[in-house]
Parts: sequence; structure tokens; C-alpha cells
Amino acid sequence: MIKINDVSKCFGSLRALDGVSTSVERGEAVALLGPNGAGKSTLIKCLLGVLDFTGEIIVDGLGVRDNSKLTKALMGYVPQEPAFYDMTVLELVGFFGSLRNVKRERIMEAIELTGLTEHAGKHCSALSGGMKQRLSFAIAMLSDAPILLLDEPTSNLDAFVRTDFLRLIRDFKENGKTILFSSHRLDEVEFLADRVVVMNSGRIVLECSPHDLTKQIEHKTRIHLEIPSSSLPAADSVIRELGYEAVTLNCGDLIVETSVENKMGLLSALIRRNVPVTDFKVEEISMEELMLALVSERGNDGH
Amino acid sequence: MMDIRNINVLVRKEVRESLKNRWFILYTAGFSILALLVMLFATSSGGLGGYSGFGRITASLINLVLFFIPLISIVTGAVSISGERENKTLAFLLSHPVSKSEVFIGKFTGLLISIWVSIVLGFGLAGVVAALRGGSEDASRYLMMALLSALLAASILSVGFLVSSLSRKVASAMGVAVFLWLAFIVLGDLGIMGTTIAMDLGVRQVFVLAVINPVEVFKMTAVMTLSPRFEVLGPVGIYALRTFGSAGTFWLLSGVMVLWTAVPLCIAMLSFTVWRREE
Repeated sequence: MIKINDVSKCFGSLRALDGVSTSVERGEAVALLGPNGAGKSTLIKCLLGVLDFTGEIIVDGLGVRDNSKLTKALMGYVPQEPAFYDMTVLELVGFFGSLRNVKRERIMEAIELTGLTEHAGKHCSALSGGMKQRLSFAIAMLSDAPILLLDEPTSNLDAFVRTDFLRLIRDFKENGKTILFSSHRLDEVEFLADRVVVMNSGRIVLECSPHDLTKQIEHKTRIHLEIPSSSLPAADSVIRELGYEAVTLNCGDLIVETSVENKMGLLSALIRRNVPVTDFKVEEISMEELMLALVSERGNDGH
Repeated sequence: MMDIRNINVLVRKEVRESLKNRWFILYTAGFSILALLVMLFATSSGGLGGYSGFGRITASLINLVLFFIPLISIVTGAVSISGERENKTLAFLLSHPVSKSEVFIGKFTGLLISIWVSIVLGFGLAGVVAALRGGSEDASRYLMMALLSALLAASILSVGFLVSSLSRKVASAMGVAVFLWLAFIVLGDLGIMGTTIAMDLGVRQVFVLAVINPVEVFKMTAVMTLSPRFEVLGPVGIYALRTFGSAGTFWLLSGVMVLWTAVPLCIAMLSFTVWRREE
């Protein structure tokens, strides 16, 4: 459905994309992962034909550069930061609906499917971040385009709305849409993607299944331990015996990085050895940090 | 290949947005009220340069048009593309199946229609009241003045579009637009006078100097509709009449205004669609 051959893009002296080649099959959901500045959004904008590039992008057999309008008609796009005209929700969806030559009923259907019916008369500027994202999605799905390009679609959403939104996207995937999305969250990737493309510094460093990715990333977590200062040496010795290293904070608390499966083992060992743990917190290591670790392990060329 | 349906959608959107814009409403109301006041003053005073009825109103409206229409046209044009660039709506619009040429033509046409609506309202209101007061004499001159105002709006709007297509930020586009407006309105007359005195120019050069300013061209054409003999413009008017004849001068000046619309617009479109392909 989408073929990307040796695509490069420079902004002045910055090489945002450097010989990227990959493809997306019909009905496949592919996640673009990578730290900020990896080139994910640039690649999506090149696909849309809004950025010039060298190399070749083919969408459903059509070259993007020479058939920009035709290929854009095949794609619905949800931007990272939606920017809308000063219109009501209904007017805006109606405007883009007219550009995509869709019927009035479809406009109302898109508004209803994205749960915006009761906000249809509201001005776009009065919508919350989540509602704006829904509105972007309503516009993207208007013409029932076979491809959806989503640029960090859940970045402005709270946890509750995010789950709802991800289900909506998955329904589209189940209806046979081809989806290419960028994300910072591993749970989203696991929930939606059939394949993951990891990017760094404008290059693809890894292509694999979400399952393989989670195996490749040593899924670590951080435990924040509150221990009385008199017991800190004993705690440090237990932590070292288990093969971990503790970082002592200014307040005297300890931070230990461990694998997700072993976090209870560490706590049990401390308690067994009579180290008084007065409180603890488990902190997930961010996707950004995990990605950085992965790309630094693999280098920029994926080896 | 341009799609007329897309252009039509974009034109309707621009007109709808302009007619909801409070600055645009304020401008239209201000222009209409001032045109009405000028009309009332012109028809109630004893006489104005020998004109009567609509001829008198037309003469009185020239200065109002000279001030108002270039201002709204250049500001509207300057904000058009740069504003969408700055708030990123242009990039989102272009992610849909629409070409940059369609966006450009749709925006220009929509904004021009909106400005024409305010010209029609201003001229229409004053015209209807004048007709009700019994002065239908010289109505054709009044109509010609309205048409010339529409042409002036098109010229200055295309200059505004050129500024906008070359600007990334609204603030810089506005700065250039206000400077150009001042240059056209204030520095135009003063510049011609100063250059004429300093360089001891002949009437031919003064005529050429006047013709390179679209506002001066409008002024000369508007005066010509009132006085085809053109003698009110002094030696330059007489030179133009002797060289090109009455009809020739009128068509020359109208042609210059059309050029003032076409040339900046073509450069702006090239800049928007060819020279700067990315948004």
C-alpha cells in the first residue's frame, strides 16, 4: 500500500531523513517509534506530500510527488498539534467534507462516531485537547480513506480519553484500514501495531513486531525507596548483593533500577533482611528513555 | 489540474470567515457610515466644483475611497497567507486533496468578494439614500466610481497577497503592508511633488511617476470620470489628453490598474506555489 524508497529530507544543514526505506502492507498497522527529532513526523509529512524530499514514495501505485492530490485523497491525517479555523465543529467538518466531496450524512456520521455530536455547535477554540484530537480524527475519517496517518495522536489526551481513542483507532484497523502512526508509548504500540519501525536521527534502526521489541528492550522499572538513614548501609549492601546499584538522593531516599519482573524480589529481600522500608514508589521508565537506550545500543545504522 | 469545485469551497469559506470577522464588520460599518455622511454633506451643501446630484457625491467620495479601500485591501491581503502559515492551518489544509494553486486562487477570490461586498454596501447605502432624496443626476458616474473602487481593491489586495506570500510571520507582513499603504497614500503625492521639484521633471516624467502608484492611477481615473476634459489635473492631465486622447487616457489608466492587479498576483502565486513548495 505504501512504499518508501531511499527517502531523504534536509532542513538547511539538518538531515531530518537519511535514506529511509520501508513499506506498509494493505490493512497493516505500523508504528513509528523513536526519540524526539528521530524523523517520524517528517516522514509522515513527506508521505502527505506537504514536504519535498529526495527518493521515492509510492502510495497505492501512485508516486506522491507527481500525484499529490490523488494520494492525499487516499489518506486521512491526524496531526500532532491540531490547528483549526475559527469555526464551529460542524462548520469545520463540513468544510473539509466539501473539500473531500463527501455527503452531508457522512459529515454527521463522522461527528457522531467521534462522540462530538453534543459539541457540534461549539467553536473549535473552545474544545479541550482531547476534543480537538477527536475532531482531527473526525476530519481524517470523513472520506473513508483507506490509509490513516496519525502523528502522535494521543499526545494531548488524558488516560481515560486515550483508551477510548485507541479503541476507536483499533476499530478502523479491524475494518481493514492501513494505519501508520507515530507514538512514544509502548502500550499503544502493543495495542495497535502489527509492526514497529524504530527511527533515530533520520534513519531506521530497527523493524520488528511489537512482541520482539518488548523483548529487545530490557523492560526496566525504577523503585524509589524510603528507608531510615540508620538502615541505609544495610539496604545498600542487600541491593549490591542482588546485583543492582542504588542511587542515593539528597533527601536520603534510594532509587534502584530493576527489571519489571524482579521488583517484588528486591522488596522481599530487603524485608527478609530486616531493612525497614517505610515507603516505596514504582516509576515506569519512559518510552523516550527506553528508545534512547535501544538506539544507543544499536547505533544509528541499526547494527 | 485545478479543480473548480475545490476553489468554490475555498471561496465560500473565505467569504464566510470575512463576514464573521469583527474587524471586517467594523470596517464595513465605518465605510458605510462615512459614505452616508459624505453623501448627506455633499447633497446639503451649496455646490461642489460645479457638480450636482450623484456627480457631487462621487467627487466627495474620492478621498474617502482613497483612504479606506487601500487600507482594508492591503491589510486583508497581507494577513491572508502569512496568518494561515503562522497558526499552522495552512499546513493542515494542504494535507487534504487540494493544490496550492487552488488554495491561492480560492483565498484571493473569496477575500476580493468580501471587500467588494463592503464596497457595494458603502456605495449602495449612500446611493439609495441619495436617490431617495431626489438626486438621480449623474448616477452613471457614481456607478463608474464604484467599479473603479472595486478595481482599486483588486490591485491593492494583490499587492497584499504578494507581501503575504513572501512572509512567514503576520507581524512582518503587517509591517510591510502598513509601510506600503503609507507610501501609496501619503508618500505618493509628496514623492511626486518632491521629485518633480528636485529633479526638475517634465510633464511626461511626472505622468509616468504618477502611473507607477496604483492609488494615483485610481485618483486620476476617478477624476476623469467626473471631468473627461481632465483639466483639473493641470499640465499632466492636459499632457495625457493631448498624447492619448480622452478615451485612450481612460483605457490606459484602467489598463494600468489591471496590470497592478495581475503582475503582483502572478508573482505572489509563483512565490506561493513554485518558489516555496513547503509549508
